[in-house]
Amino acid sequence: MNKIIQAWEMNAEVQWVILIILSILVFSSTCWFIWGKIKPGKLVTELQVRTRSWWIMCACFILTTVAHPAITHLGLAFLSFALLREMYPLLKLDERERHVVMLCYMVIPVQYLLAYLGMTTLFLAFIPVFMFVVIPFILVIRGETQGIVRSISLMPYSLVAWVYGMSHLAYLFQLPEIPGFTAGPQGLLLYLIFLVGINDVLQFAWGKTIGQHAVLPKVSPNKTWEGLIGGVLSTTLIAISLRFLTPLEPWQAAFTGFCVAVAGFMGDAIASGIKRDIGIKNSGNAIPGHGGYLDRLDGFSAAAAPFFHLIYFFGVTSGG
Amino acid sequence: MSESTNRQQLLIDHAPVGKKWLLWVLYKVFWRAVFGLVIGLKYVKNESPHPDGPVIYIANHNSHLDAMSLMTIVPSDRIHLTHSVAAQDFFGKSNFRRWAMRNLVNAVLISRTKSDRDVDPIALMDAMLHSGRSLILFPEGTRGVPGVMADFKRGVGHLASRHPGIPVIPIYLDGLYRNLPKGRTIIVPFGGTLMMGEPLILKDASVNEITDAAEKAIKEMASNLENANKINPAP
Repeated sequence: MNKIIQAWEMNAEVQWVILIILSILVFSSTCWFIWGKIKPGKLVTELQVRTRSWWIMCACFILTTVAHPAITHLGLAFLSFALLREMYPLLKLDERERHVVMLCYMVIPVQYLLAYLGMTTLFLAFIPVFMFVVIPFILVIRGETQGIVRSISLMPYSLVAWVYGMSHLAYLFQLPEIPGFTAGPQGLLLYLIFLVGINDVLQFAWGKTIGQHAVLPKVSPNKTWEGLIGGVLSTTLIAISLRFLTPLEPWQAAFTGFCVAVAGFMGDAIASGIKRDIGIKNSGNAIPGHGGYLDRLDGFSAAAAPFFHLIYFFGVTSGG
Repeated sequence: MSESTNRQQLLIDHAPVGKKWLLWVLYKVFWRAVFGLVIGLKYVKNESPHPDGPVIYIANHNSHLDAMSLMTIVPSDRIHLTHSVAAQDFFGKSNFRRWAMRNLVNAVLISRTKSDRDVDPIALMDAMLHSGRSLILFPEGTRGVPGVMADFKRGVGHLASRHPGIPVIPIYLDGLYRNLPKGRTIIVPFGGTLMMGEPLILKDASVNEITDAAEKAIKEMASNLENANKINPAP
């Protein structure tokens, strides 16, 4: 029992960021409640539903992050699995390729196990080098070549985008010790989750309030230049002020925040493009007010690997 | 198995307590976890509360998972009193299958062909409803072509017209055929949706009217689900 409690013990930095997240949630819930009482409308109801989902998502994220690292790995692996499971039927990968699809699902535990064991080179090479060859080959040896180009492109893409990217979040636990850095991998994980989450919210908020000019009118009419620039700038500022969770200097934190915000936007835009091609609004209906797993995690999966490499470069390679 | 022993068993033999617990653990814990975490089935419940007493659940049928998913939405206190109706010619092939269908799925087996039946399926189901059991029916009668809904058989209309007080709950199952298609044995997770409609209470309706109403309710849910997520054409 003592061991379990110890695993939940959090350092001061992590406690602070959890307090900040909770106060933002309490504040926005109270705002929407009062707004809904004074002037009920469609927008405020949507905001209430979205905030309620944020509560649940934050609770899940925080609990799995501060728990034992093995549980964090399991939670992240489940998110990768949920993404693939949600996208494969939409990408029309079923029936004929179902055995290869099963193989793609089996890649997930292997990749996260490599992360857990800290096997760096194998972790970095497993999907983009080995699976990149193995999966197309298995598709070929079935002897069915009709439409095979589609499957050969989609399966490795899906693995790199939604498994390889996400698994870098787990690999934060393998960072070597950095002198003077106390927040630990949990702190870094919460830092990224906070930045990508707040980036999405702020781009939405800036776009709703002052948005005029669409960035990608053909792909996603709701994304505006005002939302993008406002979101990226405010996320950069937040990244500097939450620097206590990272081993970064102020300018390094600003650069990281900027990159995370831009990468989050890119992931969002790519997902919008995929969804528009399929002809659907949301990738699913798992999260009320947000849509499916991809609708919420597109930014995370795109920002995870760049974030990991920035932290590694600033914190480890260049000596902090 | 003669008709009289069949009825006797249904009317007198009360399900033992152990069976209730076995089914509860199987469906409310095990299958619920499989559907929620592995398969990723999304449950869309209706607004009104679940009616008390016997109910006829009807659903479209494409996969063996269909009956399992319906058992997970049955209220816990009635799980041992809810029977899915399955085809004798497929599920009665071996002793093991018969035993598993009776004890693990809580199913009753009926014959689909007229020639080899010694008990009228409608009379059997009628007796079960009389004794307070709920039924899970697949009015298409077969799993059919994946993702395509076949015409409904009249059996559900016959039953509902004889029991006007028993509500019929239409359920639309989307995508389960991808997880376990006909003729496959391994479940590959692909998600899906279980949509529970409002209970239909049809008084003084004819057999055909009831069947059509049920079919219409399920088709409506299917088109609602499809249209809800369609993208608006680009401006």
